[in-house]
Amino acid sequence: MDLYEYQARELLEEQGIDTPRALFVEDEGQVAQAAETIGMPVVVKAQVKIGHRGQAGGVRIAQDRNAAVTAAADILPMTIHGHRVNGVLVAEARNILHEYYVSISVDRASRDFDVLATASGGTEVEEIAREHPESVKRLHIGALEDFDLEAATRMARSIGFYHADVDQAAQILLRMWRCFKENDATLVEINPLAKVGDPDDEGSKSLCALDAKISLDDNAAYRHDGWKRFATARDADPYEVKARELGLHYVHLNGQVGVIGNGAGLVMSSLDAVSFAGQDQGTGIQPANFLDIGGGADAEAMCRSLEIVLSDPQVASVFINVYGGITSCEQVALGILEAMDELGIDKPIVVRFDGNAAPEGLRILEEAHRSNIHMARTMEQAAAQAARLAAQDKESSK
Amino acid sequence: MSAFIEDGAPVIVQGMTGHQGMTHTARMLRAGTNIVGGVNPRKAGTQVAFEVDGQTVDVPVFATCQDAVATTGAVASVVFVPPRFAKDAVVEAVDSGLGLVVVITEGIPVADSAYFVELAQRHHVRIVGPNCPGLMTLPDEGHSRGCNLGIIPDGIVSRGPLGLVSKSGTLTYQLMGELADIGFTACLGAGGDPIVGTTLQDALEVFEADPHTKAVMMIGEIGGSAEQDAARWAAEHMTKPVVAYIAGFTAPEGKQMGHAGAIVSGGKGTARDKKEALEAVGIRVGRTPSEAARFMRETLSTL
Repeated sequence: MDLYEYQARELLEEQGIDTPRALFVEDEGQVAQAAETIGMPVVVKAQVKIGHRGQAGGVRIAQDRNAAVTAAADILPMTIHGHRVNGVLVAEARNILHEYYVSISVDRASRDFDVLATASGGTEVEEIAREHPESVKRLHIGALEDFDLEAATRMARSIGFYHADVDQAAQILLRMWRCFKENDATLVEINPLAKVGDPDDEGSKSLCALDAKISLDDNAAYRHDGWKRFATARDADPYEVKARELGLHYVHLNGQVGVIGNGAGLVMSSLDAVSFAGQDQGTGIQPANFLDIGGGADAEAMCRSLEIVLSDPQVASVFINVYGGITSCEQVALGILEAMDELGIDKPIVVRFDGNAAPEGLRILEEAHRSNIHMARTMEQAAAQAARLAAQDKESSK
Repeated sequence: MSAFIEDGAPVIVQGMTGHQGMTHTARMLRAGTNIVGGVNPRKAGTQVAFEVDGQTVDVPVFATCQDAVATTGAVASVVFVPPRFAKDAVVEAVDSGLGLVVVITEGIPVADSAYFVELAQRHHVRIVGPNCPGLMTLPDEGHSRGCNLGIIPDGIVSRGPLGLVSKSGTLTYQLMGELADIGFTACLGAGGDPIVGTTLQDALEVFEADPHTKAVMMIGEIGGSAEQDAARWAAEHMTKPVVAYIAGFTAPEGKQMGHAGAIVSGGKGTARDKKEALEAVGIRVGRTPSEAARFMRETLSTL
């Protein structure tokens, strides 16, 4: 789960990392008050879980109260790269002297934790890595290692922090690590980690986390009270919300063929097959969702799955792809029929079974004589048929 | 000898007395796996009776892995322990001198997996998984029993010249089914989590060293760079042909597709990148599982 900036800041502050004073505001009416409280000038920042929001106009500096209100009024209704803005952060504008970048993340390849840092921060690290690869330092923290102040100081030196910043940088690295470990994060990124203050007053200078990105490990939610405090960070897609309540692995996409299968890999493969079929048939038909029904594809699970999938009005046909491993396709077939009766389904459904009791399952469906159940022998044929049926529906409803 | 484990090797099951553990221990026994014990501190000293081919097999329950290993001489363990207890269970298995620990459990925090995977590496213990269907080896000639460690359905395939490694469970069964007439030496579910004990590359290394494996089917999916790493290693070291399939071309950025590790983030880990990396080193990638199976048949016909 990715957090919004205002939530990520909370976790950094809990570790004692300095951040600019700021208030999170969801309502335009509260912006003036927030700006007064923080003091001018302020930065008004879109709260949205996607990068490059600055270029998209999602970050504005306001010199006075009215400018802050205008900026918020512009930003609040925005959708940036397909992500709806969730609110704005009204933050104290700090005088930036220099920008660093630091992140800690799970390194899937080396199977430990990766510290990525550069003394030339500010933009997206991918860009820095492309333009100045030599300036990006990559260090590791082992999964069995204890990362202490000494190790953090060594790391701060090798990253290339200015001599005057090394001690403070080491403290920040250590606190970032604690933030990462204690919260079961998979990413803690500060960009920029800025040197702020009065250029002529050495004593006023300090390092401050101007922006932060944190992702949390969903598998560890049980250790953190289910991340209730960050509930708003969950996706607001209404279908996904409902599916989560029902305990289903569902991802809403934007196509016309609903897809239900067992096993994440097989479902992904089914989505690809539908998309390829749409391309091959020249209709541009796409999958409407990902839904992994899991191991026990019984009648109840099938019923709930079909209900969710068909509640999306864009769905014109459904492709059910089950490989019977431990689960028998006979049981799945009975589940489909039961769900169809209960929900009164009239949209076309294409079923493909393989594995455990596949012929028996298909026979059950055949003998039920439902005109809207279609059976296919292979995954490709089933996907092609589901895509064709969805295209016909689209055509006839024109 | 099969890849990964001796035929008929003695195996224990951690979490055997839970629902999943009971169901799959019964299945593994019926598939011929030599299960010699279970671990559960609260039920130590008892026995669990399983029906296998009309006969009753009593499997003793031990308090710890150490006890189980000392009494039975087990060399491998299968872990069905729920996520919140999985780290302690795997650490105990690694410390008890087992050589192979197959972790089926889905939903283990990645920090816990990172810990036990690193610990296992230091102790030279192989971990398979977590969040995987397990490992199945088919018996070599002269042996009646291979090993079915996990939840891979028995009876789909028999012994043959192929090795299979996969990030996905049902796609493993799908490809096993498609290539059932050719047969396998071993089928390994690497797992769908961001950190796993045996990567695609690790599996290629074992299959390359196994004299009975002639070609390898590799099934990948979006997320991470395990496919690219495997491609790079294969290009430099692999003498045996590899055919691949990758799932998730239609997966959108930033969305977890079922598996914890199946996510494209920051434009990285896309199916397209993986396909290109594999094809760049001469590994054919099927557009569908069936096409991958056909490529494998074509490849075998040229050997």
